[in-house]
Amino acid sequence: MSIESSVDEIILRVAQIMIQELKLEDVTPETFDPEIDLIDEVGIDSMDLATVALVLQDEYAIRIDEDDYPKLSNIRFISEYVDNKLKDRS
Amino acid sequence: MDALKGNQTITQEDTSNREWKFSEILADQKIRDRWEKVRKYFFLRESTYDMTNRCNIRCEGCYYYEGDKQFARENKDPTAWSKLMRDEKARGITYVVLAGAEPSLVPDLCEICYQEMPLGAIASNGLKLIPEAINYKIHISVWGNDETSLKIRNAKNMLLRQIENYEGDPRAVFVYTFTRNNIDQVHEVTEILAENGCKLTFNIFSAPVGYDGPLRQTTASLNDTRKTMIELLLEYPENILFSYYSSVAHTHHYGLHDLYSCSYPRMNPSTDIGLGRSFRQYRTDLTWDRDVACCVPDTDCVDCRHYAAGSAVVTARLFRHATDPDIFKAWLDYVDTYLAVWVMRYEKGDNLCNHLVAPPGHGIS
Repeated sequence: MSIESSVDEIILRVAQIMIQELKLEDVTPETFDPEIDLIDEVGIDSMDLATVALVLQDEYAIRIDEDDYPKLSNIRFISEYVDNKLKDRS
Repeated sequence: MDALKGNQTITQEDTSNREWKFSEILADQKIRDRWEKVRKYFFLRESTYDMTNRCNIRCEGCYYYEGDKQFARENKDPTAWSKLMRDEKARGITYVVLAGAEPSLVPDLCEICYQEMPLGAIASNGLKLIPEAINYKIHISVWGNDETSLKIRNAKNMLLRQIENYEGDPRAVFVYTFTRNNIDQVHEVTEILAENGCKLTFNIFSAPVGYDGPLRQTTASLNDTRKTMIELLLEYPENILFSYYSSVAHTHHYGLHDLYSCSYPRMNPSTDIGLGRSFRQYRTDLTWDRDVACCVPDTDCVDCRHYAAGSAVVTARLFRHATDPDIFKAWLDYVDTYLAVWVMRYEKGDNLCNHLVAPPGHGIS
């Protein structure tokens, strides 16, 4: 993934990782609503989020701060967070 | 103790400074297999419930009879308990811990909980058999040999009676609580439990708020306790559900909160995600109070090294432990241990990390 990845591209990839890591059913990266609340509406908990964060760290070669978890409440926020980290790095 | 000497004892400082990717850590097949095994249980979301304010014994240092919760009115209405469990399920709770004061005295209420919520554990003194129909893990508290139990729990032949009730019962895990005065006694207790094929895990006495009595651990007694835990782990691997890292986490100079930042509401103001959001500790009147909500309310948080607290607090710190294979293996052992202690039909694997590893950001002791 190049650092020029747009937020939209990141959204698709984050959705894909989330589906794969959390074994979510009945949803595809394309149909995963990036605005849906992951905690309230998808039922994701801190262990799930930590797992996804570890995979994202690998994928994008960024560091995700544990204290930032509360900001990562939907796929759009996660993707913007990743995008900002990539921009900071460059 | 060989395991504590020479090159068998390592700290994080001894490992390389290499930055590991998570995928590189998981490239080790044993690590990956254990990770896949434990992550299946990440769906567990716990809350705890005081079932009655009665107990058939009175123990020194009992957390239940500290604070206000002991004065809550008992709700004995089966319909109310059934509704509570359904409501809990609806808000995402998947695991219940039935605790204070002595749940075996209200088996009907325990059974109602089980019918609604199939995963859970009961904390009991083991003197009254909990009906087999309630297929929760049952944690039977042991505070030393029978002489000590008579002295601080006012109960005769306690271990014998506990074993009579629970020998061969797959639900039962005996929980030996180390105080500063009963460290040596664990050898005879473990021998008896092992002879009877019982499973055992370890707890550390964690003082209730304001308690300054003789059970409170000291730095020296914590060190002795760790050494003893590891001796027994090596001697009784079939009976003892524990790991090297469990011994570090629970006998460290710092308590669990200082080591791992306790995630229970009482010490965690965040309601965004995790235990801070979902955990509740219900009193016998079926009310709860966020300000005191944790798995062992009225424990002095600085002194908390409680096994139940660690099961949630250490496990929740996955992210901090995924930094190199050694510390990650130690964390996996911890989680594997906790699941074997708390979840029916979960079988503990061999420990992957058979030496002492320091908690992230801290020294070894």
